[in-house]
Formats: sequence, C-alpha cells, structure tokens
Amino acid sequence: MSFVNVENLQKHFAETPVFKDINFSIERGEFITLLGPSGCGKSTLLRCIAGLTPVDSGSILLDGRDLVPLSPQKRDIGMVFQSYALFPNMTVQQNVAFGLRMQKVKAEESARRVAEVLHMVELDSFAQRYPHQLSGGQNQRVALARSLVTRPRLLLLDEPLSALDARIRKHLREQIRAIQQELGLTTIFVTHDQEEALVMSDRIFLMNKGNIVQSGNAQSLYTAPADAFAAGFIGNYNLLDADSASRLLQRPVHTRLAIRPEAIGLSLSGAQEAEIRSHSLLGNVIRYRVEARGVELLVDVLNRSAADLHPNGQRVSLTIAPEALCEVA
Amino acid sequence: MSRAEPGASRLYHRVVVWLLFVILVLPLAGTFLYSIATEWSASLLPSGLTGKWYLQLWADPRFLYAFGHSLVVCVSALLLATVLILPLLFVVHYHFPKLDGLMNVLILLPFAVPPVVSSVGLLQLYGSGPLAMTGTPWILIGCYFTVALPFMYRAITNNLQAIHLRDLMDAAHLLGASTWQAALLVVLPNLRKGLMVALLLSFSFLFGEFVFANLLVGTQYETLQVYLNNMRNSSGHFNSALVISYFFFVLVLTWAATLLNKDRSE
Repeated sequence: MSFVNVENLQKHFAETPVFKDINFSIERGEFITLLGPSGCGKSTLLRCIAGLTPVDSGSILLDGRDLVPLSPQKRDIGMVFQSYALFPNMTVQQNVAFGLRMQKVKAEESARRVAEVLHMVELDSFAQRYPHQLSGGQNQRVALARSLVTRPRLLLLDEPLSALDARIRKHLREQIRAIQQELGLTTIFVTHDQEEALVMSDRIFLMNKGNIVQSGNAQSLYTAPADAFAAGFIGNYNLLDADSASRLLQRPVHTRLAIRPEAIGLSLSGAQEAEIRSHSLLGNVIRYRVEARGVELLVDVLNRSAADLHPNGQRVSLTIAPEALCEVA
Repeated sequence: MSRAEPGASRLYHRVVVWLLFVILVLPLAGTFLYSIATEWSASLLPSGLTGKWYLQLWADPRFLYAFGHSLVVCVSALLLATVLILPLLFVVHYHFPKLDGLMNVLILLPFAVPPVVSSVGLLQLYGSGPLAMTGTPWILIGCYFTVALPFMYRAITNNLQAIHLRDLMDAAHLLGASTWQAALLVVLPNLRKGLMVALLLSFSFLFGEFVFANLLVGTQYETLQVYLNNMRNSSGHFNSALVISYFFFVLVLTWAATLLNKDRSE
C-alpha cells in the first residue's frame, strides 16, 4: 500500500461537480504535481486533502489512516499558499514558531528548530524582520519554513510561485525541490505552469474539468500526450485533424495527430514544398510559422547561428520523423 | 512631490495649500483670540489679554459634569460597538460573506434618516412602556452605537479585506490553531489599525453630537454640546474658551492615538 491513497473522492459546489471519482496513490518521498488550467479543480482537490474544504465522499488515506473525518489541525499536513498567508503582526521568527507554539513545544527546542529551518531557506539573518519588510520571494521562503518546522507528513504547495517574478521563481523552485529531496518529504504541488511541473516533479497528474486525464513522469507526459487536451496543454503541439494530417503526410490518417514543433526538421535543400509565413525569436529557439500543403505548422529550430534565421517567404523542406507523430483521441 | 517643477506652478500649488490652511484655521484662531481677550468689541484688536475665561470655565462644576457625561456616553457607546461589531464582522466575512451586502444597506440607515426625524421616533418608542429611558444616558449610548456602526463597519471591513482573512485562518488552522486561537492571535492584532481609525473617527463625531443629545436627553444628563447650547446667553468669551477647550481635547486625543497607532516595526 502506498503512503498516500486517494479513493473515489467526490466534491460538488451546489449543483456543479468540482471533481468526481478521483483515485491516485503517492509513494513516500515522492514529489507530485497537479497540473491543469484554472478551474480544473486542482486547488480544490488540494484544499480537500488539507481539510480546508469538506469532501462529499471518498477517502484520503495517509499512511493507512483516513484523513477525511479529521480536522485540519489534526492532519499533520503543512501547506504553502499563493498569497504567502504570513501573519503580518508577527516577525519572521514568530511566524515560523507559530506551529510549535500551538503544539506547546518548549522554548529552547522551538528556538532551535526555528533557527534550523530558517537556515534551510537561507533566511537566518531575517528572523527579526516583519513580512512587509521582505520581498515576495523571501516571504514565500518564510512560509515554506513555517510549514516545514512542524515536520508534517505531507507538504502541500498551492501555486506558491505564481505571485513571484520569473527569476525568483526559477531560483525558488530549485530550492524547494532541493529541500524536498533532502528531507524526503512527500509533496503535492499545484500549478498551471507546465515548465514548473516538468522541471520539479517525480510524477505529474494532468487535470482537466475535474478529472485526472493523464499521469506519469515528465518524459511520458511530454512525449506521449493521452488526448487532445493533454497535447494542447503541454508543450506547443501542432494539433492536426484527420483531414489536414492526411494532406500533410499524403497518406490516409483516421485520427487526430499531434506533432511537437521541435520534432520537425527544417532545411533549405530538397523539394522545398513549404513556405515560412512568419517567425519569432524566443532566444535559444526560433519559432517559425510554416505553411505546407495548405496546413499551418509551428516549427522550432535551435538558434545556433545567424544562418538558422530565415526570412519570411523563404521556401523550405520539412522532415517529420514517423516516431514524432502522436495519435490522439 | 520632489521632482523638479517650473517655479510658477510650484508657487501656485503652495498658494492653494496655504490658502486652504488659512481658511480652515482662521475661525479657530479668531475664536482662540476672543477666548483670551478681556474685551473685544469696537476695536480692531482686543483691548487686553487674560486667562480668566479658561479659569472660570474649568472651575465650573456644571462644565466638568457635562464633560464627564460626554466622555461616559461616547466611551460606553464605542465599547459596546467594539464588543458587538468585531465578532459580527468576523462572522460575516468568514462564514457568511453574502451577508456583507445586507450589512452595507443596514449601515446606511443611520445616515438615511435625519437625526431630528429618528429622535422623534425614538422618543415615541422609548418615552414610555417597558423601555422608558428617554432622559437617561442609556438611550444616548444605544443611539450613539447606531451612529458609530457605519464608521466602524466600513473601516474594519476595508482592513479585513486587505489581510486575506481566509488564507490567514486556513494557515493558522493547519498549524494547529483552533478558530478561537486563530481569531485572537492572528486576525485581531491585524485589525488594530482599522479599529483605531474607526474609533477615532466615531469618537470625534460623537463627542460633538448635539441633535440626539439635546432631543433625547436634554438637561437631565447634560453633555458638552448641550451645555454649550444652554450657555449661549452667557459671555461670548466664556463660550469661546469652551469651544477651544473642546477642540484642543479632541486634537490631543487624535494626536495621542496616532502616536500609539504607529507601527512598532517602522
């Protein structure tokens, strides 16, 4: 039996189902990401696991014990919120110590454990500051320290990076992942950002409209999308209906096809049946919009040198490896 | 504004600000001067300066009683308001957010009905019967409570919305705090600012309230404004001293409260 087992979890808000028949299990020490567009039910699912939102039916087993009848205080779960949710009237030290204060841990031990986690998030010298004196990234690290200090059995992260700017976001996600691995902490992370999900997770649960549509590691999710939604949400797949696909490949195709833009080769030699419509420079990658046999495709080319940059209107040849074609329902 | 502006427009801005200041201060300055004048009728400036009006005022037991009455009524009304409104706000915003719309209508009522009208209604209702309390401070405390309600409700609501109440409560719950502990340790300390603003605003308003005090209670429990009204036939110098004392008291109170309210961390 796994460390976390979620079985037949159901949740309605009034008449609208938020999610139904959610089943999954998580091994001890795993980093799981719930990935999906806003409104797919991922945050509600997380709040249900935390006990902040009641479920209609089903069970959530943590180490064999059902959490559903327990109040949030008794679940032994740590959580980090998008809005940080730090207590503005308390210093960093007091914020982090709050959970220990509630558990009536002795002062010396509390001080030692607070210092320990503050060191872990590299905020030793900020203990006496107030949250409003810190930057967003620092605040979120305080929130992380606060949730770690009580040594929870399960850590929940509800879009903790969404309110931060890009550079801090990248740094903090590495830091979170490093701490998680060091502590061997079972973690569920919620995000709508596929890059975060791919970089951080052991496994990703892709959610849409209250269902888990696909689960697996980054590699399988990225290269083998289970359906059109998965292909549309992850990467920048070219989604072709059966007609366009038949025309492009000049053979009969009966399902929709998904092709990753970086799996298409682009060269100036050969038949040159395609034409570049426009391009955008993304930095290390050049993304071309190419038309071939009346089908529009995105093609990503690594920006190795100035010679890789072709003008609009240039005739080119495309090569598509058969294994890059992905049939989706 | 510290950025460089053309001299003319800066001068214009300064003139406007100073003009406004002078307009606001002029009546006060005049009243103050009058309150320390021995005689000031036919001449441009008073004929002499004296502190006797203040001595006379602060030696008058009737004034001291009126001052005390005003304090008792205002402080009780605000205490009642704090004790009732803080939990109410918490319940409305945490458990029944939909009630906020209803409350926003309710708190407009004290403004919608003119005091003269509502005091006639209150006189009818509380003039006789089981709750006969016109002429006692009790009716004034109850009435002032309703007047303070809008100030308190709005100021604290703004404060509550600024602190992400639900996230704070959720975080505290997950860290092991009960709802009571979370409300007392986490939410209440963060409402201090809004509460202080609301209390100050209501206090200065209620301390100067005249219509309700005069109509509902009158001389039976004389408050400061009623006393001022009843003394209107005495010396103008004496009355000026009264007005300035009253103004000075509210000023000092406001200043002290602002000092106390400064963030310890800043």
